Amino acid sequence: MLIGISLISFFIMHLAPGDITNNEAAFNPKASEESREQLRKLYNLDKPVIVQYGLWLQRMVKLDFGNSFKPHQKPVFWQTTDKDGNVTKGMIQEALPITLMINILGLMITLILAIPLGVIAARNYQGWKDRSITLFNFIGFSIPGFWLSLLLMYWLGVVNNWLPISGLHSLNYENLSTWGKFTDSLSHLIMPVLIPSVTGLAGITLFVKNGMLDVLNQDFITTARAKGLNERKVIYTHALRNALLPLITIIGLSIPGLIGGSVIAETIFAIDGMGKLFFDSVTSRDFPVIMGILTIGSALTLVGNLIADVAYAWADPRVRRGVVRN
Amino acid sequence: MQRHLFKKALSNPLAMAGFIIILSVFLLAMLAPIIAPYDPDDINVKAILLEPSMQHWMGTDGLGRDVLSRMLFGGQISLLVGLVAVGISTAIGIVLGALSGYYRGWVDTLIMRLVDVMLSIPSFFLILAVIAFLEPSIINIMIVIGLTSWMGVTRLVRAEFLSLSEREFVQASRTLGAKDMRLIFTHLLPNSLTPIIVSSVLGVASAVLMESGLSFLGLGVQAPQASWGNILTDGKEYIQFAWWLSLYPGMAILITVLGYNLLGEGLRDALDPRSGSNK
Repeated sequence: MLIGISLISFFIMHLAPGDITNNEAAFNPKASEESREQLRKLYNLDKPVIVQYGLWLQRMVKLDFGNSFKPHQKPVFWQTTDKDGNVTKGMIQEALPITLMINILGLMITLILAIPLGVIAARNYQGWKDRSITLFNFIGFSIPGFWLSLLLMYWLGVVNNWLPISGLHSLNYENLSTWGKFTDSLSHLIMPVLIPSVTGLAGITLFVKNGMLDVLNQDFITTARAKGLNERKVIYTHALRNALLPLITIIGLSIPGLIGGSVIAETIFAIDGMGKLFFDSVTSRDFPVIMGILTIGSALTLVGNLIADVAYAWADPRVRRGVVRN
Repeated sequence: MQRHLFKKALSNPLAMAGFIIILSVFLLAMLAPIIAPYDPDDINVKAILLEPSMQHWMGTDGLGRDVLSRMLFGGQISLLVGLVAVGISTAIGIVLGALSGYYRGWVDTLIMRLVDVMLSIPSFFLILAVIAFLEPSIINIMIVIGLTSWMGVTRLVRAEFLSLSEREFVQASRTLGAKDMRLIFTHLLPNSLTPIIVSSVLGVASAVLMESGLSFLGLGVQAPQASWGNILTDGKEYIQFAWWLSLYPGMAILITVLGYNLLGEGLRDALDPRSGSNK
């Protein structure tokens, strides 16, 4: 899998017309033909493609993605220490926690809202509650997240000035009290976290609803009802647990979408996470960063899927026993 | 058979609503040269950022261009990109899925591994990366969206082929000596059409969203060519002065995508025997 991903990200880089030293030169107009030659040597561009791939793979195994093409030449992935002991933080190292935090918060909010909605829709199947939730789902599926962000930015940020419209902190963040810092961060986070989770809500709600509908038709639910358990217990301890199992897989599968979606959200709200870093690198053709993020992003997806599989086994005794037996 | 399905699809209220929405959006976009009140690229420095009025129903943008006219012409681009991109991805999906599901063995393994790899790369990142290396243009966007969204159709076609191959009419035909191509084109493919159609209609919805997102970021349809996404880019720029630049294009995207989603889900309900009977 990883090899496949590395192959694809590597060959995308070679789609670029011309060679990448042109872009390096563009950052530094004084670059002479000589220095470009040096650069080609540095990035091994004078060697055949296969050798380049091998060398790149070699560095990637050590998680060394090289340095940015930008004048600051920060390391792409992780911090490096130069010979004077100065630590330079990696670009992904700085951006990743922000994106992870926003996405995990968003996912939690999505789940907190989606599970009850899905249950309500399934219990009132074909009733007015179900129909309004379905309508809401259709709109949720269809609404462009960035448009919703723009409208809310206008309404909450510009017209009413209730919430800040960009960044993660105010300019005077350093001078605030601890409580002030907390509320400041919170108010900056509300929109970037809530908007993606509202648009993601539709899919999960629909999924919970369908899962519940399936489970409610099964024999053990009829048995539970027949033996006189109250409806609440039937729904929440018998049915819901079974309906939620496949959700684990769905969450695992939604990780690439979440990471990808962060590009637009972070660009709109000017948050320095992975998405904005990627967008900036794309517009300035900062190839090492693009390659690094593509690879790290895909690796994250794999890790996410792995965690989902393990969590599934943990949550479902049937799978767990199967694993042990094998 | 086919006519029966068609009738069934039309009797589904969701599908019908979606169909009407899409048809009206298409008509408006196609008639743009006739009904647009102004030239969409006509810069008018005396009419910069005017609020919606009788002269300019949807106001004007930062260069004094009429937003309504730009929306109508932009609609042509957005609709076209959606259709062509899905055409590409469906074509790739059918070919790979058919190969995978019909021949099985190492072909299947190879194609399914490729699908897994493609699915694990965040597709929006992939699209942005490719666009960064190529020049952003309408053609490239259609190709790139198509090339990064064929995985679903591939899996679908493969699954259909695998299950259809076991069915008696296919076995019978094979026993009678039908060649591979005949089996594929007269038996397997026609019987897999329903899910393919449903997934392509839903695919158009996400392609339209994708294009508007890319154009919004400035990596899609390039100015001065209008598209709903890049009118929204202006909307973001002038968000403090001109709400109409943000409101209308987004509404157009929402309505179009909603139309496709309704049509797709409606068709699924109407055409899928498993879900059709209980609704």
